[in-house]
Amino acid sequence: MYRRSLGAHVRASLEYEADFWILVFGVGLSQCVGLVFIGAVFAKVPHINGWGLWEVVLMYSMMTIGQGCSELFAEGSWDLPMLVNRGELDRMLVRPYPVILQVCSFRLGMNAFGTLAVGTVLLVTALARLHVHWTPARAAIALLVFASALVVKVSLTVIANASAFWLRGTISTFAAGADQLGDLTRYPLTIYGVGLRAFLSTAVPFAFVGFFPAAWVLGHGQSAWVGLLTPLAAAYCVTVAVLAFRFGLRRYDSAGN
Amino acid sequence: MPSVAMRPYLAIARISWRSALAYRIPFVLSLCMMVFNLLAMLSLWRVLLASGHPLAGFTWPEMRAYLLVSFVTGCLVSSFTDFTMAFRIQSGLVALDLTQPVHYQRARFAQCLGMTVLESATAAVVCGAALAAFGAIPVPALPQLALFLVSLVAVVPLKFLIVYSSGLLCFWTHNYLGVSFARAAVSAVLSGALVPLVFFPGWLRILAEVLPFQGIASTPALIYLGQASGWDAVRLIGIQLLWIAVLWAGASAAWNAALRRLTIHGG
Amino acid sequence: MDEPLIRARALTKTFRRPDKGPGLAGSARHLITRKYTEHHAIDGIDLDVAAGEAVAYVGRNGAGKSTTVKLLTGILVPSSGEVRVAGVVPHQDRIANARNIGVVFGQRTQLWWDLPVRETFTLLRDMYRIPPERYRATLARLTEVLDLGPLLPVTGRKLSLGQRMRADLAAALLHEPPIVYLDEPTIGLDIEVKDRVREFLRDLVANGTTVLLTTHDLGDIEDVCRRIVIVDGGRIIHDGPLAAVRDELARERSMHVQPAVPVDLAAIRAALPGTEVSGEPGEFSIRFDRFAYSAGQVAAAVMGLAEIRDFRIDEPGIEDVVRRVYEGGLVESPTGAPA
Repeated sequence: MYRRSLGAHVRASLEYEADFWILVFGVGLSQCVGLVFIGAVFAKVPHINGWGLWEVVLMYSMMTIGQGCSELFAEGSWDLPMLVNRGELDRMLVRPYPVILQVCSFRLGMNAFGTLAVGTVLLVTALARLHVHWTPARAAIALLVFASALVVKVSLTVIANASAFWLRGTISTFAAGADQLGDLTRYPLTIYGVGLRAFLSTAVPFAFVGFFPAAWVLGHGQSAWVGLLTPLAAAYCVTVAVLAFRFGLRRYDSAGN
Repeated sequence: MPSVAMRPYLAIARISWRSALAYRIPFVLSLCMMVFNLLAMLSLWRVLLASGHPLAGFTWPEMRAYLLVSFVTGCLVSSFTDFTMAFRIQSGLVALDLTQPVHYQRARFAQCLGMTVLESATAAVVCGAALAAFGAIPVPALPQLALFLVSLVAVVPLKFLIVYSSGLLCFWTHNYLGVSFARAAVSAVLSGALVPLVFFPGWLRILAEVLPFQGIASTPALIYLGQASGWDAVRLIGIQLLWIAVLWAGASAAWNAALRRLTIHGG
Repeated sequence: MDEPLIRARALTKTFRRPDKGPGLAGSARHLITRKYTEHHAIDGIDLDVAAGEAVAYVGRNGAGKSTTVKLLTGILVPSSGEVRVAGVVPHQDRIANARNIGVVFGQRTQLWWDLPVRETFTLLRDMYRIPPERYRATLARLTEVLDLGPLLPVTGRKLSLGQRMRADLAAALLHEPPIVYLDEPTIGLDIEVKDRVREFLRDLVANGTTVLLTTHDLGDIEDVCRRIVIVDGGRIIHDGPLAAVRDELARERSMHVQPAVPVDLAAIRAALPGTEVSGEPGEFSIRFDRFAYSAGQVAAAVMGLAEIRDFRIDEPGIEDVVRRVYEGGLVESPTGAPA
């Protein structure tokens, strides 16, 4: 049903083709912004804290792909404030299907395709430019680590939006802010102070989306091994997301009519 | 009598401020998150400028000042204006706005000004905290400071008009998200909010010069730093004001055109 | 004769709709060919409403009712034709027109979602520049009539549909507009609230306010309006006194019957001459003239022939009105002549 719901959105979105291209264009531009920044900075300096251009692009690409996955699989969660605020969650509560999945598939981020395309191109380019010694075992673990990294990102989006159960706004400003927090990890974590580093690796583990997996693949820095913990981080994030929904739904009082 | 004519708009500004206050918590929290973004930029530039060598003419204290000024201008005129506009246009609620005896564009500006009160107050608090954490920034002399304040005030109508004009596109597209993404991206790059414009190659800098976006971040930041002073600063402010006039007239015309093709759901 | 308060001549609004083939291929083709069909939402409406008149503007869904209201309020710009409301061309001088009118859209609220109702009212007070004493007096009167007291401190989102409609009515009337447009004001309301809203509207009309009431619920217009204008397919198909329509419709009733075992419809027709029986032996409808038979007589006649499992009596709806107009059951009066 989750898949069917998403599929219906693809068809509905294609109905408005012009709007679809506007979105692709907008998303393409917004993904370029970070690259423009990286490009402008690396035009003046050879490395940031020991991390070279393509290493930073690798982290950046992982965040971008994670972003794309959030848009693909959890875009509907951005509507949660509206659903809660206008009491429209009632409809979902009477259906025999987990609310968290119904909410996530409420809408499909058509921008996902643009984001994923940009992210994939960047990832492939960065890996081609970097000299990684690939062995079958290393490739297999890398796949697991990268997949877990994407789960981390999607779950964090859902968690951020679950805040709507407690915060009574009609727009997900908080979640949008939390998303910006993730943008911190588009750059090497080592530029931050120790407190922020700890925060981004444990409480809100955005560092497991881009930085740690990339550092492990590159074998760069003393904490490269931390990347292997990415599946654990993914399990943690999924658990928190599910719990956030469970407790959130208990607080839900259908508004108005 | 100007005060009578202003009364509806003052009321709109007041109620927009009040309705933001009704949701203090998300408002404050979202601002806290913007602080994290500022933090990333400050951390990054601290590392890059740690050696003491200026980059593209920016020392670490100067870059600090630049980032703080562009943070403040970034706080002003949040997406609240265009997203509520987009929502009302697409859901047909705009019909109710049209039954009210006020000019739509002026009413939206009033709404945006009401929010600005709150936004500037919170931006000031954040700046204080950032100064405490990352160290003081150079303060310009009085005449320069006055020029800076003028350019900062001009940011509000200019940024409003950019946001409002993009919001009007809702009459032509059902997908405002794409428009707002594109607008945010273009304005982040070309306003100098992302990185000072001198970091860009020549062609991109020229593009930024001829477009209105530099007026919403780069102009006040450069005037604050004294990188644009005297007549140079006055010229930049003049460009801001010129764009305000042009965009106000252009947006009014676009609004009239939009009304001609307005279709409202549930007709 | 004075110019009527509301005057529309040959008013037309045309929407363009993208003309697409089905599916993805159709969408792709549309990108290149850009074909559109013109759709006349309303097509040459002539309407005069005198000051103090209360007009019911009825029709099926999509007949063009709301579009007419949106043209009269200045929300939409007409494709062609003329319109003047209280001497003002609404779409040219929208703001001047807005001061003369109050508008209630049944499906949309003008209350601020996040703020107490009282705050919305003070915003409207300033927006319409209502003098403080006038505002206090009007609010006091509306609060009493609509029983708004308990609603004033409540935020828009916390109101039930019925409470919201009461608050919306007050919001539209705070500036005491001489003209009030009501677009489906009772849609979705329960019977009790409906009655209350209708009673309020009756008083409004009695106090001399000009009212244009758009609805597809015939119950709304009884007692409120003296004149009925029926639209269909974007054109006015009937304009005349409500009493004539009501008498005509008041005659007709339908009884839907589910017998316990199938019955011979011919036997029922024979037992009830002059009625129209349609349907299946297992479930059928009897259309009868209320002055010829009482519902009890019809039911008794059927029960004499079969055991009834379930039955229901329908009053005529808007569909029946429109059908009667086409059947010629109503004599069409010259358009634009208020009765």
